[in-house]
Amino acid sequence: MERVKTLTVSPLNRVEGDLELKVDIRDGRVTRAFSSGVMFRGLERLLLRRDPLDALVFTCRVCGVCSISHSSAASLALRSAFGTAMPPNACFMRNAALAAESLLSHLGGFYTSFLVDFTNKHYAQRAWYAQAAAQFTCLNGSSYVRAVKARKNFLAFLGLFVGKWPNTLALQPGGVTKAMTFSELGRARGVLIELRDFVEQQLLGCRLERFLELESGDDLRKWLEKDAHHNSDFGLYLRAADDIGLESLGKGPKRLLCCSAYESPDGSALYKSGYLDRAPKPFQLPKIAEDTGHSFFAGKGGPEHSLMETTEPDADKKGAYSWVKAPRYGGKVVEVGPFARLVINRNPLIIDFLENSGSNVHTRVLARVYEIPLLLRSVEDWISRIDPEEPFHMPHGKAGNAQGIGLIEAPRGILGHWVNIENSRIKSYQIVTPTAWNMSPRDSEGNPGAVEQALIGTPVEDEQNPIEIGHVVRSFDPCLFCSVH
Amino acid sequence: MNADQPDFLAGLRLADIDLVMHPSLTPESGEQVLEILEKFRAKAVKLDILAVEGAIYLGPESTVPHFTFHGRPIRDWVAELAGAAESVVAIGTCASFGGIPAAGSNPLRATGLQFLRKEEGGLLGRDYTSGSGLPVVNVAGCPAHPDWILQTLMFVAQSRLKSEDLDRYHRPQVFYSKLAHHACPRNEYYEFKASAVAYSQQGCLFENLGCKATRCESDCNERLWLGRTGSCTRGGFPCVSCTSPEFPDGFAPYFTTEKIGDIPTTLPLDVPKAWYVGISGMSKLACPVRLRANAVSFKKVDTTEP
Repeated sequence: MERVKTLTVSPLNRVEGDLELKVDIRDGRVTRAFSSGVMFRGLERLLLRRDPLDALVFTCRVCGVCSISHSSAASLALRSAFGTAMPPNACFMRNAALAAESLLSHLGGFYTSFLVDFTNKHYAQRAWYAQAAAQFTCLNGSSYVRAVKARKNFLAFLGLFVGKWPNTLALQPGGVTKAMTFSELGRARGVLIELRDFVEQQLLGCRLERFLELESGDDLRKWLEKDAHHNSDFGLYLRAADDIGLESLGKGPKRLLCCSAYESPDGSALYKSGYLDRAPKPFQLPKIAEDTGHSFFAGKGGPEHSLMETTEPDADKKGAYSWVKAPRYGGKVVEVGPFARLVINRNPLIIDFLENSGSNVHTRVLARVYEIPLLLRSVEDWISRIDPEEPFHMPHGKAGNAQGIGLIEAPRGILGHWVNIENSRIKSYQIVTPTAWNMSPRDSEGNPGAVEQALIGTPVEDEQNPIEIGHVVRSFDPCLFCSVH
Repeated sequence: MNADQPDFLAGLRLADIDLVMHPSLTPESGEQVLEILEKFRAKAVKLDILAVEGAIYLGPESTVPHFTFHGRPIRDWVAELAGAAESVVAIGTCASFGGIPAAGSNPLRATGLQFLRKEEGGLLGRDYTSGSGLPVVNVAGCPAHPDWILQTLMFVAQSRLKSEDLDRYHRPQVFYSKLAHHACPRNEYYEFKASAVAYSQQGCLFENLGCKATRCESDCNERLWLGRTGSCTRGGFPCVSCTSPEFPDGFAPYFTTEKIGDIPTTLPLDVPKAWYVGISGMSKLACPVRLRANAVSFKKVDTTEP
């Protein structure tokens, strides 16, 4: 009889937050996977009966990596509840700050989380190993050190725009609290151009504009032939990824979701919303619901719409194994994140990869890295539109009884805040995070979450060093702090 | 990772700190991490510094704990590792005092390592000292400034931090003996009670918009954040006094100033109340036109009178 072995990886390090994975392995391949968030935080419950504006103070503290993302979602939810608008300047400031946070997160996700696995002793015999070890080793590889520095230097951008980060209160329902001067905009541009230099010289080995011209896998292969590209950090990633076969690892659930994000005052948006299930379909908000069938929460089990939903911990619940709820779209398991955003917005390069190999470890990392030049260019554009002579904030009203929804695209995918206000107090507050979409446990129908599905079939050569599992999980760049909020 | 002068990597090098295990930084996973922690727990390897982030849940009473590591409650891991550590540093207001998770009725009984809000005790008890003889060193702040964290770790690694260097809440005095209000660029407005009435305006945020910087013990506006470019009040929003043991509940409402008559109930820590009441009315009368006009404008207003 074939031997089934259960392997527990806890903690799965170098992801944000506390993740425990249990996988069954038969004949060297994963047959079942269980992803558990092992911590309850209860942020939503802490907000009950508080002043609606307290959501701005509390929810940005869900996470130090996606702090502005939560501020954006919370201020948008309150803005919709209060029925307030915000001036154009505030819109550009919000976009720039949110994109800056994604840039910081993507740089961290690539250099300090994903690439470090290439220095694992498992790959010691590979042709590229010596170079990877010299450049990507944790805390002292040459590229790692430069990336930490570039990331740190870029923080000044956020200092100028939102004062403090994480946990800024600069994003408000009526706009932003910071009015920019010409001098501050000039400083911000300077900081931004330094990040451009890092991305062009170290990460890509070419101009952002050149990289954004790539439209197919063939284009990318030809691009890689040039020495400067070949020897860039992304070039080395591509060569190692190809050799390891990352394109055959971690197949996603084939359904992708993204919401409208980075909207400009004229109503246009960097990302439009959409849903892909074989064919592209319009995004329908009411289809979002959370299921608690295998999560440590009381509830009817099946999907509940976020305005109706509660967060009642039930640690003794039978069959439960995670403090993460299971968000579903029309009852379906979907994947969210940079890959979903770029596919739904018909980016030619990412669409070409979708058609050839679908969502997998490589295409997820590729999409994340592709967003770095894309967002950088967008930030340059947004800050050029800020006019210091025009207002940044307008007074917002109050709401005795109202509901508000704030959906945005955080670094890791769609993030939603739902607020229900009654007698000027928070009656309910629900947060659905990107990592809950990607790392959810099974739902009451027994459907495994996206990462649980992606792990099935993953080869594990060495059970003492299951590096392949690390690749699959880290390709989603999970943030467990957020998902166990 | 956000530290500057020295940055994070340079700071570790300067203090000769070997980062053995960090959830988001070090390469080990699973059993390898367990092995490291077991060695420290059994004192087979000396644990020089245990740095803890996040509040600890003492409750609720339930067969399954709300935060576990390898099936055991995190509170037990932390207590045992603290028993083996030469020094223990609590990083952030949650690990120091309970913070946000301990807000409201605190059903999970979240606590800091050695304090719950202002009260000594916490997870480890008021009499706890680590191998070095120090209590838990609290690097409060939500978040704590990267300098506060990295430099505290450097002082501790070099055995340069003594108990007399800590304040009444066991925070290193070098960072927490100023007020966030000191060096705020809005101080001229503060002096003349030229106050903003809405966000993005240049005036002082204390009188109307809920700013607690005159009650917040930190050096934020002198030290500055994010490459020395920002602070809460420089970002145009009120300080919520996040370094205080009573954050968050002790500082609500966050965005409006509660008053009795014209006098805020949240008066500055560094000025006697009678002085404040006496002088604020006078300074308001003496406020130059220049400040009065600019306080309520988001951009510079030129005035003919000073």
